Amino acid sequence: MSTLNYRTINIDALDPDSPQNFPIETLLPATLPPPNTSSGAANTATQVRQLLRSGDAVGALRHVLETAPLGGDEGAKQVHLATVIDVLQGIRQGEMGRVLAGVLEGEGGVERGDCLMKYLYKGMASGGPSSGAQSPRKSVSPQSTGFSQIQARNLGEGGGGQQMSVLLNWHEKLVELTGTGSIVRVMTDRRTV
Amino acid sequence: MATPEVHHLFHAPIADHSFSSDKTTLAVARDNNVELYQKSGNKFSLTDELKGHEKTVTSVDIAPNSGRIVTCSQDRNAYVWEQTPAGWKPTLVLLRINRAATFVRWSPSEQKFAVGSGARVIAVCYFEEENDWWISKHLKKPIRSTITTLAWHPNSVLLAAGSTDSHARVLSSFIKGVDTRPEPSAWGERLPFNTICGEFLNDSAGWIHGVSFSPSGDALAFTGHDSSVTIVYPSAPEQPPRAMLNISTRLLPFNSLVWNGENEIIAAGHDCEPYRLRGDESGWQLEGSIESKAGPGAGRVREESALNMFRQMDLKGQTQADTQLKTVHQNTISTIRVYEDVNGSVQKLSTSGVDGRVVIWTI
Repeated sequence: MSTLNYRTINIDALDPDSPQNFPIETLLPATLPPPNTSSGAANTATQVRQLLRSGDAVGALRHVLETAPLGGDEGAKQVHLATVIDVLQGIRQGEMGRVLAGVLEGEGGVERGDCLMKYLYKGMASGGPSSGAQSPRKSVSPQSTGFSQIQARNLGEGGGGQQMSVLLNWHEKLVELTGTGSIVRVMTDRRTV
Repeated sequence: MATPEVHHLFHAPIADHSFSSDKTTLAVARDNNVELYQKSGNKFSLTDELKGHEKTVTSVDIAPNSGRIVTCSQDRNAYVWEQTPAGWKPTLVLLRINRAATFVRWSPSEQKFAVGSGARVIAVCYFEEENDWWISKHLKKPIRSTITTLAWHPNSVLLAAGSTDSHARVLSSFIKGVDTRPEPSAWGERLPFNTICGEFLNDSAGWIHGVSFSPSGDALAFTGHDSSVTIVYPSAPEQPPRAMLNISTRLLPFNSLVWNGENEIIAAGHDCEPYRLRGDESGWQLEGSIESKAGPGAGRVREESALNMFRQMDLKGQTQADTQLKTVHQNTISTIRVYEDVNGSVQKLSTSGVDGRVVIWTI
């Protein structure tokens, strides 16, 4: 007698034609930057904080979005996310409109807008400020391609709620400038942040 | 601009529509059937139904010269309908696919048609006189997911296909004995069946909804679920393209697009109105809607309408009475087609959508 429980075998994983086995890396463009390490991301963070301290909010946000580790490992991405959120929190609400207009200006403005939108959604998904940076969350979704529905949210609870309101403010301002198109692109784009 | 001609046919989605070359017959895919409308006065009235498919009809195309209608459906079949004195006679085409057929178009030569499917193949079908039936050959090789859209090159050999694997591809569908050898072009010189002449992916990688060759066939445009339009100018066979331009828009995604000359594209989709894009190899930009809005300030209030609705409900306990969109179409536009053109320059367009309307626009 075999002890194998045939009911629990994931047959989709064994079928080469199954969507679960879709080669998701084929959706990455050839122009993807080389992988970044977390120490590289930490260097960027220092530079960006310097810019922010010197009062150049536009420059700081621009730089942090241009150096996003699209091809980086998970560690680099978490460090960079923390940097972006720091920058966003460091800019006063009254300044948001002016800063965004500056960031979206010039060549590559659309890409910077899309990149910021990705960070806003990632920031909202990861909840509190500390949890994002310290414990990179394992994907809860059973399929690597799926979006998880069951993520912890800590809305309205201390620092998390405050961060959420900052992100929502930025979201509102960004949608005014880049429209619904950039939200749609967050969902399709496989160059995740 | 003249006011668009609106035909509200019924309250159900229109998957696809096609006009006969004399514009008196309109074929519309509705649920499991195709309905044929005849023009009488300025109205279209239902005259005939093509019944035969067992599941939703996904696409319909009338050949301009022969008048034959090809339809395909989620039941995995395609039919070619021919008009006889006794009515429309269907011929079943053996597609040999095990998933839904999603899209069908006649080649400009009308000798062949191509059917896209969820089985990750494109069936290129042609009529074999000897056996008196339609044969299909499969384009298979690099396709990794469902084919959502197809477009023919003017030479009837090259075929552009958009897929849910986010790639737009240009493939050869050359069939010996049916096609004449095509002129060499930037896409390729020798073109045996299933030659891959180009495979394109844009940076934000959405599902492809619409593809189209420019009137000369020397440029390809595609649009996807990333709300962008990409235009590719090929350089030479097996070389990277001379230019690949991507226009990210602030709009919802487009579903379908057509060229108007070599320097203009008209695209329509989830924003319920057609938009115009202009440009050339050095750059393209979105020009704006081709629709002239009724009433002042109609355009920009829409984005906040959900917020306003809830605010109204909160403050006054009243729900918004006005549920009409400011656009002519009241829901997503699924297909846009050239209605009338003079030497590649489009005079009129037709669109159909989820709202059951077919609209004819004068450019």
